[in-house]
Amino acid sequence: MKLDFGFIWTAFVQLLTAVPTALAITAVSVFCGLLIGTAVAVIRLYKIPVLYPIATSYVTFIRGTPMLTHLLLIYFGLPIIVDSLAEALGLSFRSVSIPMIGFAYISFSITAGAYMSEVVRSGLLAVNQGQIEAAYSIGMTTTQATRRIVLPQAFAASLPNLSNMVIGMLHGTTLAFTVSVVDINAKAQIVATTNWKFFEAYLAAAIIFWGLTIIIERLTALAEKRFNLYNRGGVS
Amino acid sequence: MIKLTKIRKSFGRNEVLKGIDLTVEKGEVVAILGPSGSGKTTLLRCINYLEKPNDGVISIDDFTVNCKRSGKKDIHTLRQKSAMVFQQYNLFRHRTALENVMEGLIIVKKEPKESARSRSVELLEKVGLGNKLDAYPSELSGGQQQRVGIARALALNPEVILFDEPTSALDPELVGEVLAVIRKIAKEGITMIIVTHEMSFAQDVASHVVFMDEGIIVEQGNPRDLFRSPKEERTKQFLKRITPEGIYSI
Repeated sequence: MKLDFGFIWTAFVQLLTAVPTALAITAVSVFCGLLIGTAVAVIRLYKIPVLYPIATSYVTFIRGTPMLTHLLLIYFGLPIIVDSLAEALGLSFRSVSIPMIGFAYISFSITAGAYMSEVVRSGLLAVNQGQIEAAYSIGMTTTQATRRIVLPQAFAASLPNLSNMVIGMLHGTTLAFTVSVVDINAKAQIVATTNWKFFEAYLAAAIIFWGLTIIIERLTALAEKRFNLYNRGGVS
Repeated sequence: MIKLTKIRKSFGRNEVLKGIDLTVEKGEVVAILGPSGSGKTTLLRCINYLEKPNDGVISIDDFTVNCKRSGKKDIHTLRQKSAMVFQQYNLFRHRTALENVMEGLIIVKKEPKESARSRSVELLEKVGLGNKLDAYPSELSGGQQQRVGIARALALNPEVILFDEPTSALDPELVGEVLAVIRKIAKEGITMIIVTHEMSFAQDVASHVVFMDEGIIVEQGNPRDLFRSPKEERTKQFLKRITPEGIYSI
C-alpha cells in the first residue's frame, strides 16, 4: 500500500473547516469549567455549609465516570428535564430546538468543571497562608483578599495544569461526534468515506491536533511568563 | 489607647494566653519580651484577630470587641484600626513594592489612585526605598522587604502598628536598617507594640517593656527599671540567660 500524500493534503484542507467547531467546544468548556471549578474549589476549601457536600459529590461523580458517559447522560437526560419543566411552566420551548453542539457545550463544561476544580484547588493551596493574613491585617474582607490576593497567585500557580486541561478538552472534542457534532475526527471519517483512505484522513487529523496543541503550549508559555513575572528574582 | 482585658486563648487543650490585661497609651512604644512559647506572638495576633481569642475584651480607640460575641463586622472594624508587620514580611508576592503599599489605600480606604500613589511613594522614600518602587518582593533583600512591610502598615494610618519579631528572619547585617526605620517612626509618636528578641533595641526604643512567660504577664514597667532591677525571679533568669552580665548597662 502506498501513502497518498495528495489526499492527506486534500483531507487536511477539508478538516480545517471543522477546526472552529473543535475550538468553540474547547473554549466554552474550558471557560465554563474554570468558572464552575473556581466556585467548587472555593466552596470545598472554605467548607461552606450545604454547598460543601454537593460540591464534593459532584467532583467524585464526574471524575468517577467517563466524559463520554456525561455526554450521553446529558444528551438523553436533559431533554426529559427541559421538556417536563417547559410543560409544567406552560412554555412553548421544547428540547428539539437545542442545537446538537449545545449538548456538547453543557456536558463538557460539567466535565471540565470537576477536573478544573482540582486544578484551581492545587493553585489555591500553593498560596502561602501569610498572604491571606497580610490581606486581613490591612483590613481586607475575605472576599477582597480572595479576589485581589489569593486568586491571582493561585491562577499563576495553576497555569501548567490549566494548559494540560485545555489540551485534554481539545482532544476530548472528538467525542462530540457521538451526538452528531462534526468535529475534526468526525470530519476525517466523513472525508475518507468517499475513497476509503482512512489512514490518510486520520493522519491529517493528527497533524491538525498536534499543531493546535503546539499553539496551546506556546500560548501557555507566554502566559506563564506574563503572570509569573513576579517570580523573576528567583529568591523569596 | 489600647486596652486588653482578660484575653484568653487556647490551641486545643494547650492554653497559650491565660488572661492577659494590658493597657497601651497613645504614642507609647511597648516591647514584649519573653522566652519562645510564652505567648507573645499569639497575643499580638489576637489584637488584630489573626487568632480569635477565646475570651476577653479588646478595645482600640473607642471601639470595643467582646471576644465571646464577636461578629464578622466587629472583626473587620477592629482590624482596620491596627496594622501588622510580620516576621516573614508577607508582602503580596504578585505586587510591586509600590502596589503593596497602595493596595490597602485603594481597596480598603477607597482612596483615589493618584493620592494613594503619591502617599505610597512618600512612605517608601521615608523607609529608604524610593528607588525600588517597581521592584517585586522577590527582587528585594529581606531587609528591604521588611521596610516595604513597614511602609504598607504605615500607609493605613492605624491606631497601632503591631510588629511580630520584625528582624528575626533577617541576616544579621540587615537587622540594623530595619531597626533604624522602626526607631525613626517611633519618634513620630505612632503607637507601636513590638515583639522582639533584640534586647538593646527594646531598651533603647521602648517606653514600656512587658515580660511574658507561660501565657501571663510576669512583669512590666519602664525599660530602665525592668532591665536594671527586675523584681520577679523569672524575669531575672530570662535576662541572665540572654546577657552574660545578667543586667544591661544603660
